[in-house]
Amino acid sequence: SGDGVTKKISLDWIKELCQQFPQGITDQVIQNDMPHLEPQQRAMAINKLLSLGQLDLLRNSAGLLYRMKDTQTASKMKGSDNQEKLVYQIIEDAGNKGIWSREIRFKSNLPLTEINKILKNLESKKLIKAVKSVAASKKKVYMLYNLQPDRSVTGGAWYSDQDFESEFVEVLNQQCFKFLQSKAEAARDSKQSPMVQRNSSFATSHEVWKYICELGISKVDLSMDDIETILNTLIYDGKVEMTVIAAKEGTVGSVDGQMKLYRGVNAIIQPTGLVKVPCGLCPVFDDCHEGGEISPSNCIYMAEWLDF
Amino acid sequence: MTAQEVRLCGLLLQEHFGDVVEKVGTHLLRNGAQHLRAIVQETGTPMDLVKKSLCVLIQHGACAFSSGRKGPGSPVEYQASFERILRILRYPRYIYTAKTLYGDTGELIIEELLQRGHMTMSSTVKTVADRLTLNMEEGHSMEYSEVSNTFSKLVETHFLQRCPPVEVAGKAVSATPDPATTPGAPANNTTPSTPESFADCYKVPHVTLIGRGKRRNSSEDGEDQRNAKRAKEDPETHGDEGIYWQVNFERFHLHFRDQAIISAVANKLDQMEFVGKSGDSGGGMYVVNLHRALANLARATLESVVQERFGSRSARIFRLLLRKRHLEQKQVEDFAMIPAKEAKDMLYTLLSENLVQLQEIPKTPDHAPSRTFYLYTVNQLPTARMLLQNCFKTVANLIERRLFETKESKRLLEKSQRIEAILASLQASGAEPEQLTEVEEMITPPEKQQLESLRHHINKLDSAENQVDETIFLLESYIKSTATATR
Repeated sequence: SGDGVTKKISLDWIKELCQQFPQGITDQVIQNDMPHLEPQQRAMAINKLLSLGQLDLLRNSAGLLYRMKDTQTASKMKGSDNQEKLVYQIIEDAGNKGIWSREIRFKSNLPLTEINKILKNLESKKLIKAVKSVAASKKKVYMLYNLQPDRSVTGGAWYSDQDFESEFVEVLNQQCFKFLQSKAEAARDSKQSPMVQRNSSFATSHEVWKYICELGISKVDLSMDDIETILNTLIYDGKVEMTVIAAKEGTVGSVDGQMKLYRGVNAIIQPTGLVKVPCGLCPVFDDCHEGGEISPSNCIYMAEWLDF
Repeated sequence: MTAQEVRLCGLLLQEHFGDVVEKVGTHLLRNGAQHLRAIVQETGTPMDLVKKSLCVLIQHGACAFSSGRKGPGSPVEYQASFERILRILRYPRYIYTAKTLYGDTGELIIEELLQRGHMTMSSTVKTVADRLTLNMEEGHSMEYSEVSNTFSKLVETHFLQRCPPVEVAGKAVSATPDPATTPGAPANNTTPSTPESFADCYKVPHVTLIGRGKRRNSSEDGEDQRNAKRAKEDPETHGDEGIYWQVNFERFHLHFRDQAIISAVANKLDQMEFVGKSGDSGGGMYVVNLHRALANLARATLESVVQERFGSRSARIFRLLLRKRHLEQKQVEDFAMIPAKEAKDMLYTLLSENLVQLQEIPKTPDHAPSRTFYLYTVNQLPTARMLLQNCFKTVANLIERRLFETKESKRLLEKSQRIEAILASLQASGAEPEQLTEVEEMITPPEKQQLESLRHHINKLDSAENQVDETIFLLESYIKSTATATR
């Protein structure tokens, strides 16, 4: 019957739409694409696909989303019992940040032995994989097989195989500082008015990022955010200061109408008086008192320092 | 009063005033306000010595007296001032500052007043003129008027101020009305009036001082003897009897504070010309800015200590915590970009030294460790207080080491002094060069070496005291300013 054909066509049409938009489609999208379909018929078609297990129903801030269910996964999961499906769902929900087995236990209330069995099973079916997390080298997080692990798991630019690349970070730290220092020097040498000098000694994070990229010292691609992380460590070293200025949308290097500017600075004081004497650096300061085993009179650090 | 504070004051009092004053002063510091008899009994010191000690302390503003707390008729009570005694440490800096601002004359005026505590203008001028004359060429001498000029300038700029008139039986001796004390002040008024509450505080009296400095021909007898003799011999009056002057420490402190701020800003602007201070914002706003400047200087001081003691990476962690206030361990690792193991080590070290604190924020009512946030944090004010105490202990250590080094070489020092004296008298009586050399050779080369080494040690310890005092000044200024800022 015509009705039946329409139904079949509608089902296929919706499925094709889903395949075209793998992230999911809303009811509006279906309506726009199939204006001839009555709302009631549309609803029936969607429900049919859902009950057949060919569509996933999701919700986002915009409303309901219909997404093609992964048939490969669907077929693999066919033999699974509800427990396996539950665990799979939990892992899927964790996205690319992954989830570790103890949390799966909390969320599913299943005993650990059962979970481990399920995880092994899912892994052998290549539905999920285990990724070592940089947060704890012994911790493994599970995520769906095809997902790219999030940076927080792999460590991003600063980690190579779970190892924190301290030397690399140190080199970047030094190079960024050198860049800012030479900019400040150039500003000083220009001999212009003090405020002009000060302003021209600033560099945007974009400028620094460009300089570092052109240096070619990094094997991995560094983002401007990565460079800003390095620049922040220079701020915590007391070597650099930062200000934020408003920037017109579209200005190179601006983010959300703002730009961050960095500038090399001197310390505002010389090392303070206290640390210029042995007591200020002494590891046994608290044990020292006149008449004791350690005292100013018999202090070997003092003796050394005095004879220097 | 902490143990370190008392210890340091004791050392300062002993060096400047001797054992008896030290005993009395330390006793007062430990026990608060006391009347005369109590001091005599509890220190086991004869009455007349206690009286003299109290006079010395009062003369130098290190001790104040007030009517007894138990009502009119109860004996006068004496109270020592820890802060004032601590200022002794800063004398070299006051003298040096006076020198930079007002030359040798200014330097000597301040030095004399610090030595004596209170002096009249006329006696200061004459003493300083004599001292300056000594250093001038034969036949030249210093005009009193020149010294008076410098003295007046020091008063105009408030580096010197009149000593507050003494209250006798509750009534001020001076004729000028006293607006600061409560009207109808009874004898029981124990609120100390500041020197600046007296209208004539910075008024230079009209003195008749005509003359020049006198060159004395005596040899290096104790300066005190000479001054004492002259004081007794000098019958002249100059119109300012009873008007005593003292150094205004707070004014010097303002100068130091401004210097510190200006140099900090200059450093930040890379030695570029910085025109003026932070403008003329009036009243309250200015106070807040100043507090922030002092807080920044104090923060830089704390950071400097961490950097020198524990290295630049620990310093990075410290600065990070100062900026971000509260951070979990993982966050510290991430922001500071320091590997987890090392960051943990550094944090624990800083924690054990009390430079960093741990705050627990439980997520659940049972405070279970696995469900608690542990946040690292730095509290600037208590940390500054702790470091200040460390400074006091350090200075006391330096003084004790200096005294020890001197004591160790006592025999040698005495020998050296005797030989100096012999040489001087031989020279005066016109001895032969061979005789002089013979005497000089009584000190063997190794002994000369030892003396030279001792001198080097003493100098180093001395200047170290001054350096630590700079830290004390910054921390104290900051701590004091927080007290007023929170009001």
